Amino acid sequence: MTPCCSTAELLACFLARDLNDGEELQVGIALPIPEAAVRLAQLTHGPNMELIFLGARMNVHHLDHLPMPAFGWDSRVVRWAESFSDRGHRFDQVKDWHRRVFFVGGLQVDPHGNTNLIGVGQDFRRLKFRGPGSVGTPTLTTHVGRYYIVLNTHTPRIFVPRCDFISTVGWGNGGADARTQLGLPGGGPKYCITPLCIMDFTPEEKRLRLVSLHPGVTLAQVQAQTGFELVIPAQVPTTAWPTLEDLHVLRTQVDVAGALRG
Amino acid sequence: MNTGVRTSRLHTEAQAVAMLDHGMTIAIGEPTPMALVRQVIRQQLRDLTVIASGLSLDLLIAGGCVRKTISYYAGGGFGVPVAPCFRRAAERGEIEVWECEEGILTSGLEAAGKGLPFLPWRGGVGTSLPEINPDLKLIRDPINGETLLAVPAIKPDVALLHASVADVYGNVQHQGGPGWIDLFLQRAATHCIVQVEKIVPNEAIRAAPWATTIGRADAVVRLPWGAHPWYSRGWYVQDSAFLADYLAVATAAAERDQPAGLAEFLNRYCHEPATHADYLERVGLKRLLALHEY
Repeated sequence: MTPCCSTAELLACFLARDLNDGEELQVGIALPIPEAAVRLAQLTHGPNMELIFLGARMNVHHLDHLPMPAFGWDSRVVRWAESFSDRGHRFDQVKDWHRRVFFVGGLQVDPHGNTNLIGVGQDFRRLKFRGPGSVGTPTLTTHVGRYYIVLNTHTPRIFVPRCDFISTVGWGNGGADARTQLGLPGGGPKYCITPLCIMDFTPEEKRLRLVSLHPGVTLAQVQAQTGFELVIPAQVPTTAWPTLEDLHVLRTQVDVAGALRG
Repeated sequence: MNTGVRTSRLHTEAQAVAMLDHGMTIAIGEPTPMALVRQVIRQQLRDLTVIASGLSLDLLIAGGCVRKTISYYAGGGFGVPVAPCFRRAAERGEIEVWECEEGILTSGLEAAGKGLPFLPWRGGVGTSLPEINPDLKLIRDPINGETLLAVPAIKPDVALLHASVADVYGNVQHQGGPGWIDLFLQRAATHCIVQVEKIVPNEAIRAAPWATTIGRADAVVRLPWGAHPWYSRGWYVQDSAFLADYLAVATAAAERDQPAGLAEFLNRYCHEPATHADYLERVGLKRLLALHEY
């Protein structure tokens, strides 16, 4: 079957359909797939969604398309905002973040969805690869209702048995009560999505489990590219193509420049 | 009869940065006060502890000014995941990294502003942050017995900020809103130096006192286009091509041992221009005028 869209578009549409009207959707920088997903979700089924980019909170459901400077830091994002939550009180209302949804990337991910933006190496003072740092992800993932781990590559260097450093706690050492034990009020990671597959977490152990393989990807390929044993259910479906309607909105009203198509 | 004269706090960039000294803790706001950052490099301050991110952090490291960073995010932008000079210096152990994140940083700054030894914070519990930064202590809270991080007060000696306007007495109005961290830095810092696009009369401040974001800056400096190559809300947008040019020469220096381009960049834009006006002449009027917002 001929692919009807790119993997990035597939993932943006998958994420968009997992977001619910009324939610607050916060996207940081350098995450083009979630950025497209929240804008798509707002247009297709989210008249009461609120999007938060760089502290600028907006509802752009009424716009035919969003000519917003996209996929990076640009102060003009404030032009579409109804409020600017960065005025010295960014973290003063975390008690209400249970209805907020967030997205994180990572240099490493372990079997329980703990992630690392700090660096790779055994000695923190002499890292082999110094990462960008945690930004605000420890605080956000501690409190938000749920979040998604979104990765641009899927390799054994990223999916490791143990992160060299943990910057965001997914399910800690595992177990459904792992976050409660640590006193973390947020709901934790729901899905981990990559260019090869979609994964979630088993209900009891909270271990990464394969949900679906993208069209053309084999189970053996995913296992070879994952540095630990994934939980493989009896049935592994193929990730569904987006609907033509969603793809049309994505291409004509969100990603007009085609950044996700390449 | 009224006697005496109210003291003006208006200074040149050289006078303002002369208040700084080697070894101080310097906090950089956002929008980024790049003209003051360039002046710090020009005056060859050394062994600074800096609270900064992005280009200002990377440029101060490239300029040899930094001993330690209080670091929450050091992305490069424009497809460069980590600021190049930061990455090289950190990997080689040439700078010390006080690892934190935004909620931890603002808690430490709030503790300083409130005169407290620490404030508790939850974000970071369960992560590696308290292991790689032993100043962050895991504590049992005395009210509910929960495990929290105690974040020590973070006390910058000087905050360097960028805003829209101020009067000569240090009344600052950000207009487009202060960036996410400016007011935390101002409340925590011992001294505050603010560069502005425009100096306005005291009458203009008194016409809208509720718009004043900082009431007693120690020094204000008139530096129009002073955030270039970054943006200034309501005045101009970021100069993305300039930022990409910097990242290209910094990446060549940091990752390929080709330091000539970065050295030339530092000379051309930081060391050689005697004043901010000389810097703007080098950037060029056409380039600046093309950055007007919208």
